[in-house]
Amino acid sequence: MNSAINNKLTLLQLKGLSKSFAGKSVLDGVDLKVKAGEVLCILGPNGAGKTTLISAILGLIAADSGEIHLLGQLQQGASRSAALRRQLGVMLQIGSLPATLTVAEHCDLFASYYPAGYSATELVTLAGLEAHAKQRFGRLSGGQKQRLLFALALAGKPRLLFLDEPTLGMDVEARRNLWQQISQLQQQGISIVLTTHYLEEAEQLANRIMVLHQGKFIANGSPGELKALTQYKVIKCCSALTDAALLALPGVLQLSRQQDGITLHSSHAEQTVLALLSLDDTVSQLEVKQVALEQAFLQLTQSPGSEHADSAKQEHAA
Amino acid sequence: MSVITIYQKEAWYDLVSVWRTPGFVIPSLTFPLVFYLFFGVLFSPSGSNSHAAYMLVTYSCFGIMGPAMFNFAMNIASERAQGWLTLKRLSPMPFSAYLLAKMATSLVFALVIILLLFSAAAIFGEVRLYHSQWLSLALLMLLGTVPFALIGLLLGLTLSDKAAPGVVNLLYLPMAFLSGLWVPVTMLPHVMQQLAWLWPSYHLSQLGLKLLAMDQGHAALLHLALLLLTTAGLTLLCLFVFRRVIGAK
Repeated sequence: MNSAINNKLTLLQLKGLSKSFAGKSVLDGVDLKVKAGEVLCILGPNGAGKTTLISAILGLIAADSGEIHLLGQLQQGASRSAALRRQLGVMLQIGSLPATLTVAEHCDLFASYYPAGYSATELVTLAGLEAHAKQRFGRLSGGQKQRLLFALALAGKPRLLFLDEPTLGMDVEARRNLWQQISQLQQQGISIVLTTHYLEEAEQLANRIMVLHQGKFIANGSPGELKALTQYKVIKCCSALTDAALLALPGVLQLSRQQDGITLHSSHAEQTVLALLSLDDTVSQLEVKQVALEQAFLQLTQSPGSEHADSAKQEHAA
Repeated sequence: MSVITIYQKEAWYDLVSVWRTPGFVIPSLTFPLVFYLFFGVLFSPSGSNSHAAYMLVTYSCFGIMGPAMFNFAMNIASERAQGWLTLKRLSPMPFSAYLLAKMATSLVFALVIILLLFSAAAIFGEVRLYHSQWLSLALLMLLGTVPFALIGLLLGLTLSDKAAPGVVNLLYLPMAFLSGLWVPVTMLPHVMQQLAWLWPSYHLSQLGLKLLAMDQGHAALLHLALLLLTTAGLTLLCLFVFRRVIGAK
């Protein structure tokens, strides 16, 4: 899949993008590439520079140095041509659209901006708000508002779509529906840059995840590759062994006890389990798990060094 | 679908959106009318229709200032705060469509206020003017919204959505009083009469009064020049702030 994508057109490329505010570096030489049909997910804790990155790409702020190539054109400063903006779609975290206009009216207005885009009626359908077309924006639920903003982002049938925390405030069902819509867009060949706090979302949607931390990408890979970055697995079980005996098992890095059993972090889970079973035949409720992406992500952003992340980056580049 | 459609829709939906905000519509339309009926018609010191005619000009001026300043300042400040403006900037919409839409809304409100006040003056104040005077006064007041729209734009670009309404009132009401829009400027203390020259609303009202030959007698060209100068200065200031707040676009 990656090789298929590698042959495709590069829609977005950043080279050494840097930006500092009042002497404090927020983006520190960021490189990034998005190919046609790719879904890139940018993960990072608050303050990692995600918003600054998106703002610089879209021309809301000017970067201090570095290059931004959007749809093959090198961008200068903080201005993007109307012709370019017609081919982009953007969904930002927004407090409110004018509250007194209805769903249909907002769609009508946004449709008029994009001569080659969807019609107002099509946008209402895309938002799945046919039943609420005449409802004012101010009376929509949080999830309905997000759906409308998502549809407005698609108004111009964009080649490249930016989604900033798209499922914020949505219930589980609405979130799954939006995921489905995003997957459909990907199948249509639309490239997507997505930021999110929901790691499950990144796992579900992204071809590639990049972890941004203190203005730098510290990891870059497919969801699977990122998981492999974490050197340990989690073993849960009930065992009669003492703490000392458990910690002496091969590969065990860490031990914690819960009411219903123990949790071991192991760098060599198979050997740990083998040794465990040979020492203690009363072991029950044994469970070995890959670390959830969320934990992998926490580990990446918390560990002082990030050699693993760097090695993955090189792997990906190679 | 052409660029003109964008301008039309932008203007239409700005008007619709404002029109559905009773908190804006009711004070904008009723305050000038009620004040005029009270101070221009009912409490006429001389009981003459010349007082009603004089106050028609000053309250028209007062009436058109409000919606221009409030529509720009409050809506731009809140649309900035809520991120709606950012989304529009990222769309291919020409930004001038956004500003012209706000201007069009201010003009529609100005026109309604002028018609309300003119009707009240003719019916209750027994003000009789030549057709050409009615028409030129109306046109003057419509054009006169421009500097106040610019003041509103400046405030909308710089203030937070919470501060904007208060600051506009803090500017609007004293400026109206000091320009002699509530009480004829000739009845104000000498110092305040001289300070009146600072305000665009004073010059606009004097130009209006000149149409009825009721002004203070300074050259019309002087008032016009100062009004244009203020407008030009405000435009430059808006452009400067605009570049800083909104970016190069």
